[in-house]
Amino acid sequence: MRVIFEEIIKDIRILLAYPIEIAFWIISPLLWAVPLVFQGKALVGSLQSTPFGSLAGTSEYIPYVLIGAIFSTYMFTAVWSMGNALRNEMFYGTLEHILCSPVRPLYILIGKGLYNSMFSTMFVIVQLTICVLFFGLDLTVTKILPMVFFLALLMIGLYGVGFIAAALTLLIKEAHGILHMFEYILFLFTPIRYPVEVHPITRAVSALIPLTYALIALRGILLGIKFDFLKTSLLLLGIDIVIIPLGLYIFGWVEKRTKQRGTLAHY
Amino acid sequence: MLVEHAIQITSLVKMFKKRGDEVIAVNGVNLKIDQGELFGLLGPNGAGKTTLIKCISTLLIPDNGTATVGGYDVLKKPLDVRRQIGVLTGGERSLYWKLTPVENLNYFAALYGVSRKKTKNRIAYLLELMDLTEKRNERVEKLSSGMKQKLSIARTLIHDPPILLIDEPTLGLDPTFSRFIRNFIKDELHRERKKTILLTTHYMDEADMLCDRVAFMNRGAIDAVDTPRALKQRLSTEQVVEVKCMGTLEPDLFAQVKEVATLSLENKDGLAYIRMSSDNPEQLLPAILDLVQNKAKVLSVHVAAPTLEDVFVHLTGVQLKDDQVEECG
Repeated sequence: MRVIFEEIIKDIRILLAYPIEIAFWIISPLLWAVPLVFQGKALVGSLQSTPFGSLAGTSEYIPYVLIGAIFSTYMFTAVWSMGNALRNEMFYGTLEHILCSPVRPLYILIGKGLYNSMFSTMFVIVQLTICVLFFGLDLTVTKILPMVFFLALLMIGLYGVGFIAAALTLLIKEAHGILHMFEYILFLFTPIRYPVEVHPITRAVSALIPLTYALIALRGILLGIKFDFLKTSLLLLGIDIVIIPLGLYIFGWVEKRTKQRGTLAHY
Repeated sequence: MLVEHAIQITSLVKMFKKRGDEVIAVNGVNLKIDQGELFGLLGPNGAGKTTLIKCISTLLIPDNGTATVGGYDVLKKPLDVRRQIGVLTGGERSLYWKLTPVENLNYFAALYGVSRKKTKNRIAYLLELMDLTEKRNERVEKLSSGMKQKLSIARTLIHDPPILLIDEPTLGLDPTFSRFIRNFIKDELHRERKKTILLTTHYMDEADMLCDRVAFMNRGAIDAVDTPRALKQRLSTEQVVEVKCMGTLEPDLFAQVKEVATLSLENKDGLAYIRMSSDNPEQLLPAILDLVQNKAKVLSVHVAAPTLEDVFVHLTGVQLKDDQVEECG
């Protein structure tokens, strides 16, 4: 436990050395969402759209897009931060010294995952506050507990995704291209920007991604869109049960392979 | 665990794939290093020293053979092996530059499971030992290269390991810090603390000064193991002649020279340094000067005692240099 705690403290200290990075993570989802809002307004003439409402369950475009942008922060920080966590250690020159210590790299990754969850949550709170104050988002106390429940289920699954992303960067080193591709796939196949019901393929693929169910639930809670609480919870839980062991297995396999090939600390 | 040999390496082989070809980095190495011994692994860059250290420290999985460290097998008990060792590498980038020395040491202490109370005392002790107490709360990025290396040593010692694997510890350091590091390894770690130390270096003087025993490593294999004194006695000659010339010379120039035990050539900054040992240097010297005089201007001739480098060249035919391996006639 102490290793995980110290990992979080270390990452916080390093982040605090880069204040612009903090500002970036806070404002980027909002900056990213604003052009979409303008685009929507330009296309349909207002921020209400009947075709959009028939697919999304709500015709309120702004809150829909903002919620997608804000909560996708968890997914993208998991992919980028956990994916690049060991890569950053390579650049610091500390990876080999960590791996020479009697700590399984998994604990380091869990520490980095918890650090990401903590910061993502902090950023999300700031973003939600901005949305409540400036975009009229209705956030009451009774909505917070179910939100936390679904976010917890989402985060568990994201650790699995993070382990896979970390393995990927350990294996192929310069994984920016693949992580970007991963990001675009998520944009395409999850209801971040639009309802996945817009196309049969997006609807089918989105069923495999945990962010899909989390966004359905979170929008359901925040915007009052009808959704099946139990079914969505079980689906998210099911994905978590599969993706965590899968992520661990893939990471373990890649760690062993890099030690055999001697590419552990290669740039 | 009480074991006879702190490190025992048995028929260890490590291969890498390079552009489709298999390169043997470590080729059937056997070594036994006693408890409390300061053992030097010497060889040019690319000899396989670092690969061997990485196999011992569980960063690489050997293709064949095995090694035990503190009695634990590197393949079967890697976590136990890691508890026994401290790894120090040359170069600056092995610390978190955005953290302070205290924060760095605190983090690594946690990785090694050192209790909080012990960590605090140990950090204070190590910073004092390294003369870094005044810099304890400054970011590492503001420290000089030598101070960073001192801090790396403190990090290596944070859990007080019985076995130290030290890879090129003075690489890139100025002479003052290099001297400090060498004295610290010899006096504090070896004599006072009785640590078992496996040191890799391509600086022969460093090995000669520090080590109880040394092994010559070349092309992945161990060519000789003995004390520095015994190794130097392997050269039949007692004197080595150094000739310094202005100009650049090719190693082929000396291909026809006979009756020479060792001959090495280094071209550096417009100067050529020829170093040779022979049973009969008085007779050999005129022949060498004849060969050189049309190619370069002789600046000095100097007679010296043979060094480990002379023995290395004699045994392997390979000359040690900072940045490359050069074969001599």
